[in-house]
Amino acid sequence: MAIERRQAPMTPGKKVIWGTGILIGLFIVMGPVYLLVKYSISDIQSINTGGDPIPWWPFDPTLQIFLYLFKDQHFYHVLLNSVIVAFSTVMLSMALGIPAAYVLGRYRVPGRKALLLGIISVRLFPDIASVIPVVEFFIHIGAHQTYWGVVLAHTLLALPYVIFIGIGAFESIPSDLEQQAWVMGAGSFQTFFKILLPLAVPGLAAAAIYTFLLSWDEFIFAYFLMLGKQEIFTLTLYLNGIKYAEPQNLLAAISVCLSVPVVIFSLMVQKYMIAGVSTGSVK
Amino acid sequence: MADVILQSIVKKFGNSTIIDNLSMSINDGEFVTLLGPSGCGKTTLLRMIAGLETIDSGDLMVAGKRYNSLPAQKRRIAMVFQSYALFPHMTVQKNILFGLQINGVSRLKMQQKLKWAVGFLHLNGLEDRFPREISGGQRQRVALARALVLDPDVLLLDEPLSNLDAALRETAVEELKRIHRHVGKTIIYVTHNQVEAMSMSERIALINNGRIVQYDSPTILYDSPSNIFAAEFIGSPPINIYDGEIQAEGDVTGIVTDIGFLRIDKERASRLRDFGGRKVRIGIRPQCICFSGHKDSRRSTDSEIDVSVELVENLGDKYLVIGRNISGAVVRFLITRDEDIIPERKMKVFVDGRRIHIFDTSTLLNILS
Repeated sequence: MAIERRQAPMTPGKKVIWGTGILIGLFIVMGPVYLLVKYSISDIQSINTGGDPIPWWPFDPTLQIFLYLFKDQHFYHVLLNSVIVAFSTVMLSMALGIPAAYVLGRYRVPGRKALLLGIISVRLFPDIASVIPVVEFFIHIGAHQTYWGVVLAHTLLALPYVIFIGIGAFESIPSDLEQQAWVMGAGSFQTFFKILLPLAVPGLAAAAIYTFLLSWDEFIFAYFLMLGKQEIFTLTLYLNGIKYAEPQNLLAAISVCLSVPVVIFSLMVQKYMIAGVSTGSVK
Repeated sequence: MADVILQSIVKKFGNSTIIDNLSMSINDGEFVTLLGPSGCGKTTLLRMIAGLETIDSGDLMVAGKRYNSLPAQKRRIAMVFQSYALFPHMTVQKNILFGLQINGVSRLKMQQKLKWAVGFLHLNGLEDRFPREISGGQRQRVALARALVLDPDVLLLDEPLSNLDAALRETAVEELKRIHRHVGKTIIYVTHNQVEAMSMSERIALINNGRIVQYDSPTILYDSPSNIFAAEFIGSPPINIYDGEIQAEGDVTGIVTDIGFLRIDKERASRLRDFGGRKVRIGIRPQCICFSGHKDSRRSTDSEIDVSVELVENLGDKYLVIGRNISGAVVRFLITRDEDIIPERKMKVFVDGRRIHIFDTSTLLNILS
């Protein structure tokens, strides 16, 4: 039977309360975004008001600062670097994390508990504590000042989350579906690629978004690994480099640019995160 | 030809024995039901035949081939799970064709099969729906279609009707019988519902504690249960059970019980004569106790007992009366709705002596079969 969920219609009083709540929530979430965007399109008079209060909307909105930014060749280079590093991190984390999550989520692996503890322990230290040993190790293996070094470091950070989210995704698939595929003649690989992987996609998509964000935002590891190699700087490092630069709203413009790809990537992946995709298989 | 032979099958989970040295054979094209209470091992047995559980010892032969170590993928067996296990990310059509696709069947052949299955199981117009968009009954038919298109030697059904509501279950029973008659496949059906088992199967294997209690046609299982478990498990409303003692003196052989002296028909009485004084347990189906105002309609093998009515259940065409006799023993019997029945009413009913099942108190086996 098709499952339909209907909620009782809300009373006017309830509507007002909900509406107000939603507006407050929206204000808290969108407020900083608004201020950032406003700042990035402000003219100089709207920033340096000479003691007057800063206006809620710029006197003379302008995209001048973006034009200034887009003229800078180095900015493009940095943007591209960030995209390369983030995408590579997503790819590598998925390639390593999905098989691990599949095995840990669906098989009784000996020492599973210890293994899970080992995986999560990577994230039990603050980044600032693990960055020095990791960087030293990377120097030894020649991975510092390279793309793949940064990608590897970011994968190291993201992998535990990918594995844990992935385990949840694979665990939640009823074993009947897997066994049904076997009985119908599907081997382990076919069962994995045609049944289990498609059903785990919503969870894995969430992990991918998370990984992309993590790599895109990451500063400490990128900083220490790329130190002295401007060509492979990512956006966060670039931002760090110009933090005291003029004009003042350049920072805001860069921050806007930093956010746009994340939003695009999230929208791309979001369509796979349909909740309840597995309803209707088993009653 | 796809007969299934189980020989001394044993299955253990840890220390507990799930299947205990079980042997049975199923003929080609036969509809056999594995019937038993939950936890009796019937589903485990089915999963062993499907290749989803290993066999600890014994032999599983299908169509003359030893199947013990053949992986599930290679067995020419299809299975419908209790949950139906439809692939939620695939449309009805893709679900039905999945097995064929895996097995590399040509596109043309797949279209033919799909057309046949959709028509045969009344799934027209649902091909592009997802499992979540169709009803429970339709899901069950998709699961069946998906199994049938594979043209298996043996079709395994694990409680396929337990998720359906009562009305739908009736039609599904008819549907399954029709399918069996049309495709003529060997079908092994697992259920704990004796009504389903009785109405569909050619033979029923009644299983308890990992052993076969009785393996017979539904009629024989009903008419001559081999032990008290079979008598209690089969039949609805449940059978009346009493302790008693065989009395064989003079002309009349019968059993002394809590509800009085019960006569046994001559043919069986002669076989009981040697058991005089033996403690027994007897079973009388509610259908074999009748109420009749006419003394003439009584047979010589009938025994009269007095009951006072305690509860009346309306079964639609009949009433199930639950009464007690003077000694306090409960008597369940059926009467037509013409009778005016109210609690506390005293009435005389007659037990059909030809249809009393007699079991040994210690072995619990039917002493006349």
